[in-house]
Amino acid sequence: MSARTRLAAAADHLQRIQLWLAALALIILMLITVADVFLRYMFNNPVRGSYDAVESMLVVFVFNGMAAGFFLRRNIVIDLIDQAVGRRATAVLIRMADLLSVVCLGLLMWAMLGPARQAFEYGDRKLELNLPIYMLWIVALLGLAGTIFCAFVTLVARPVTTERRSAE
Amino acid sequence: MNPSLIGVTGVVALFVLLILRVPIWIALVCVGFFGNLTVLGWQGTFALTGTAPFDVASSYTLSVVPLFILMGEVASESRLSGELFKAAHVILSGFRGGLAVATLAASALFGAVSGSSLANAATMSRIALPELRKAGYDDGLATGCIAAGGSTDILIPPSIILVIYAAIAELSVPKLLAAGLIPGLVLTVLYMAIAIAVVHVRPDYAPTETGFSLRDRIAALKEPWQFLALFFVTIGGIYAGIFSPTEAASIGAFGAIMLGLVGRRLSLREVLTAVENTVIVSGLLFVIVIGANLFSFFIVQTHLPELLLDGARAFNLSGLMVMILIIVGYILLGCFLEGIGMVLITVPVFQPLIVKFGYDPIWFAIVVVIMVEVGLIHPPVGMNLFVIQAQAPDVKITAIYRGIIPFLLAPLVLIVLMFLFPGLALWLPKLLYG
Repeated sequence: MSARTRLAAAADHLQRIQLWLAALALIILMLITVADVFLRYMFNNPVRGSYDAVESMLVVFVFNGMAAGFFLRRNIVIDLIDQAVGRRATAVLIRMADLLSVVCLGLLMWAMLGPARQAFEYGDRKLELNLPIYMLWIVALLGLAGTIFCAFVTLVARPVTTERRSAE
Repeated sequence: MNPSLIGVTGVVALFVLLILRVPIWIALVCVGFFGNLTVLGWQGTFALTGTAPFDVASSYTLSVVPLFILMGEVASESRLSGELFKAAHVILSGFRGGLAVATLAASALFGAVSGSSLANAATMSRIALPELRKAGYDDGLATGCIAAGGSTDILIPPSIILVIYAAIAELSVPKLLAAGLIPGLVLTVLYMAIAIAVVHVRPDYAPTETGFSLRDRIAALKEPWQFLALFFVTIGGIYAGIFSPTEAASIGAFGAIMLGLVGRRLSLREVLTAVENTVIVSGLLFVIVIGANLFSFFIVQTHLPELLLDGARAFNLSGLMVMILIIVGYILLGCFLEGIGMVLITVPVFQPLIVKFGYDPIWFAIVVVIMVEVGLIHPPVGMNLFVIQAQAPDVKITAIYRGIIPFLLAPLVLIVLMFLFPGLALWLPKLLYG
């Protein structure tokens, strides 16, 4: 097995783990909210901290949910130029987009390190759950690191395809 | 350099990047980052870039987005949508073109539990297109109905695009979801009228249909109850102020899964597929919203809307003229931009401008979404048309283009109606929320 194939397999494995982590966060988010509404209206006893839980689960969901999209090259693009420039040039443009993905995700992660460190130093916590906010930053940074790895592997180890896709 | 000039340069750079096939989120991040860098300097820009992703990803308002997507995905995966179409067919049978009208009705009802136009078009292509073709309908008319019907999905609540619009334009989600309902229903009626008119002019496009008995029709009325129940609980709950949008979306997604599993219309595997699709689609949408946040901040800093306002005043343009220019601009943008991108790129520029001319931002949001609908269905790049062709590769794209053209009249008529009767969008939010 070549190094590229091993890298692609590792990224595939990682994006699947992140996808199911995100899925789990979504299901928890949904169930907590349903339970909160049910208990509030039926027993006047809402789930304490449901608002914080929704926001926290959304962080897990978003930062882990991005990896699969990047690995599968599902980002929304305007592909009108494809027919005008031919297959080879399209492939170059796709590679450029892959490279820019890694650069932009890296930029976001670099910029996020500062606020994450501040969250740790100031010791801010979620109001109801009393959860330290820096823990959510750690989750966000780990999820983003996984996404960057998947985007990087897509750049170096995945063949280019020119299918039309959209996320809407 | 003058900030407004920087703003103009940024917008031009954004379009150049988009044309060069750069993903929308990257184009927004690049222009937003370098634009803010020019206007704010390194420290401010870096702080903004570091906090925007976390702020978006921990926004309670935006938690609605994946939940509504999940509800639509579940409805699409389950056999509920097939039963819905069959019921619409029975109820609206007995006249030439009845099945086409039934397709539009089923699309609108499906739109009541789904927030994505493409999901609607894909589902209806799978369910309705084989039936329409089997009945002898012209391919163009059949696909035109499905594409047009699918586009109503983004007006009829729940609408993903309206939630994202609300987040980016800082408007109330419940108010926007209320504002979309009546225009969505009017548009469905207009599409139905066009389908009937097409069949009247070209009777060879649709066969004569035998009608079902009154008893069958009444019996069929009970089939769409799950869709109606989900709609009334979720959207009705938001309108009545019983639930927040996130609560309603959670209940809707949970209810759709339960209805599917308990009624044996959905397997556990299909639930997992729906969740998987939801994660991928939502992840891609969130990364665009993160980019849009940076871009939108940049536009605010450059005072670009004020520059446009000064330009309009210099040319003595009235508010109506400006709106007409904006609408023409949206038609052109719809030729190469997809819906969410179109909203996220243009709203930070246009909304402050039209508010200065005295237009209501809620009303404008609905006008923008109608124009996004036009973009979804007008040739050459309407995404709904491609979705249909992907589902039915043996239908020629030229037939799909021919079929959709008459339906393009409906959203344009709706825009005129929106100018004549702004209450179409504003009455319900005013009634519900004052």
